[in-house]
Amino acid sequence: MIVLDRIDRYRDGRPVLEDLSLHVEAKERLVVVGPSGCGKTTLLRIVAGLEAPDRGRVVIAGKVVSADGRILVEPKDRQIGMVFQDLALWPHMSVAGNLEFGLRVRGVARRERGVRVERMLREVGLEGYRNRRPSSLSGGERQRVALARALVLEPKIVLMDEPLSSLDEALNIRLRRLIVQLQERLGFTLLYVTHNKDEASQIATRLLRLGG
Amino acid sequence: MERGRNLWWVVAVSGVVTFLPLLALAVKSFTIDGHLTLEAYRRVLDTPQQWRLFERSAILASLVTAVTLPAGLLLGMVLGKSDLPLRRLFTLLLLIPLLVPPYIWAVGWSDLFAPTGLFAHLFGQEAAKVASGYLFGLYGCVFILSCVYLPIPLILTMALLRSVPRSFEEAGRMVAGWPAVLRHITLPLVAPALLIAGVLVFLLAFGELTVPNYLRYDLYVVESFTHFSAFYDFSAATASAVPIVVVALALLLLEERVRLTFFSEPLPPTSDIPMALVPLGRYRWPVAFSVALWVGLTAVVPTSALAMEAGGWANYVEAIQRAGSSIGHTLLFAAAGATLLSVLGFFTGYLVRRRALPLWRIVDATTLFLFALPGSVVGIALVALWNTPLGGFVYSTPLIILLGYAAKYLVLPSRITAAQLALIPPSMEEAAQLVGASWGQRILYIVAPLAWRGLLAGWLVAYLFCMRDTAITMTLYPPGADTLSVRIFTLMANGSPELIAALCMVTVVLTLVPLLFLGTLLRGVVR
Repeated sequence: MIVLDRIDRYRDGRPVLEDLSLHVEAKERLVVVGPSGCGKTTLLRIVAGLEAPDRGRVVIAGKVVSADGRILVEPKDRQIGMVFQDLALWPHMSVAGNLEFGLRVRGVARRERGVRVERMLREVGLEGYRNRRPSSLSGGERQRVALARALVLEPKIVLMDEPLSSLDEALNIRLRRLIVQLQERLGFTLLYVTHNKDEASQIATRLLRLGG
Repeated sequence: MERGRNLWWVVAVSGVVTFLPLLALAVKSFTIDGHLTLEAYRRVLDTPQQWRLFERSAILASLVTAVTLPAGLLLGMVLGKSDLPLRRLFTLLLLIPLLVPPYIWAVGWSDLFAPTGLFAHLFGQEAAKVASGYLFGLYGCVFILSCVYLPIPLILTMALLRSVPRSFEEAGRMVAGWPAVLRHITLPLVAPALLIAGVLVFLLAFGELTVPNYLRYDLYVVESFTHFSAFYDFSAATASAVPIVVVALALLLLEERVRLTFFSEPLPPTSDIPMALVPLGRYRWPVAFSVALWVGLTAVVPTSALAMEAGGWANYVEAIQRAGSSIGHTLLFAAAGATLLSVLGFFTGYLVRRRALPLWRIVDATTLFLFALPGSVVGIALVALWNTPLGGFVYSTPLIILLGYAAKYLVLPSRITAAQLALIPPSMEEAAQLVGASWGQRILYIVAPLAWRGLLAGWLVAYLFCMRDTAITMTLYPPGADTLSVRIFTLMANGSPELIAALCMVTVVLTLVPLLFLGTLLRGVVR
């Protein structure tokens, strides 16, 4: 599903990722672990198309999407959903607005949008939250909105960048279960970044250790 | 405890500088010969001519706002958000019209359209006459004031763009292209900048004295100044200033109401991660060319016209001799004013950012309010407060000018400091507190060194604004203490065009030097 072929990525002249190759199978849950600064987030950003590798190729579903410093397929056209570390919920939009945005710019009809948003909010246990603003939500609720937003377009691949790092242990465990359940039910490929070993072992079908 | 006590002193000082003059203005407007009366209001407001001028001012200000907002937003987005080449240079050049006394541009354009000017050489006397006809009137005022105030929405848009977290846009880019992301995510997040920019531009254009005066377009603000300077009818001057104060207050309150109702909380600035730039692709150089054309039209053309009119070195030498001590006064007052403003602005900025006392909002609102008021009205308010037997040590010395600068421009270093402090976590100060540092030590050894960039930027911006000031200085300067901008403005009545043009060029050059320093600091804003 995802192939990274001898990826190099430099920042300010220093290597962040060096000669990294990786194969991720469809419907796999690959968790990337490693210390801070080892390039976990950069790896996700390269797969997402938010950064280009300085050298090497990224192939998604058999198609070369980035190669040698160039982005060949824009992020929006990669069929990828992403949960950012800071969640990046748009504060000027309601919960429904956050979920609807991607559907709207893709020309999905209003009625269909409403149905899909409702369904996804139900999936993450946030029925009745559609008109709330992100600022009025608790930490766990925000995580669920970010998760729902990443999934509402039914992507083939979902990237998660330490999405649970700011939650307490009990909530963290509950949401890990939710993520695994959603992945099994919806069947997307999950590339998950964390530095928490428990979190990694509970979510992963395979582990990748970066940076020693 | 200690911090609160010290900050109360800051509130007291800023109250004397900003609030007391307004109070004195209000009181004086109700007094004639020591008696409470509404006579001054009746005289001023019962005159149909006053209302006609008020309407003209409102129309001019609305047109200037209508031009600058979309243009400033567009240029702000292009310069702050795209990979346009030379964008830092363009930003600096676009700032020049705001930082030079506005009437200088009016002089530049009138020189261009003069019978002996470049326009007449190129297109003939008749065409120059027609163009000059448009310049001296509403259209000329709108054009020049739009160029002058365009940097306000431009800079505010650029500043707010920096506060949009990169991940917000990236989350959008996962599902949409840049145009949709800019329209639905970035623009709504920078919209509050347009709101306040719109109000500020409207009020500043409403209160602009010098450009309409030079272009012979009668406006309301000229009335209150004329009551004061020509007839010395102080009650009438204060009474005619009060409607302007009311309009400014109403608009600023409305802006706050709309912002709080319709927009989310402002985002904290993000300095660590560079924002994502929109690639312009094949439009990169055509857009750069269009921006260069705009820069040429607003800054280069009128400056060139002034340079041509000024002629050779001999004219400059004579101009500098005629300017005499006013150049020294300009530099000295600007430096002293900027220093006073930086110190006071640092502490008011600290108070506002840390919300250290319940009064922070009033202090912040009052400084913004005074910035939005016409300089002549601020000047009249200071006269109302200090022109008393006890206030002589202020009123009859250049100290009155410095207080005028402090009242009018305090918002600039205050807001700059507050923005810089937003980047410094309160925990830095708290860590010093835990090891026993007093508040003064924390400010001196922790906060000020971390905020040095903001302090310096605040000083430079304050310096530039003090140097460009005409209205406050013209209202307040004691005998023998006029500045260059006042000297030029008064010479316009009887000075030769070459002399005036040369003095205008000297002013432009004096502005460019600190602007270059400011440009170095802007490196962090325009990547």
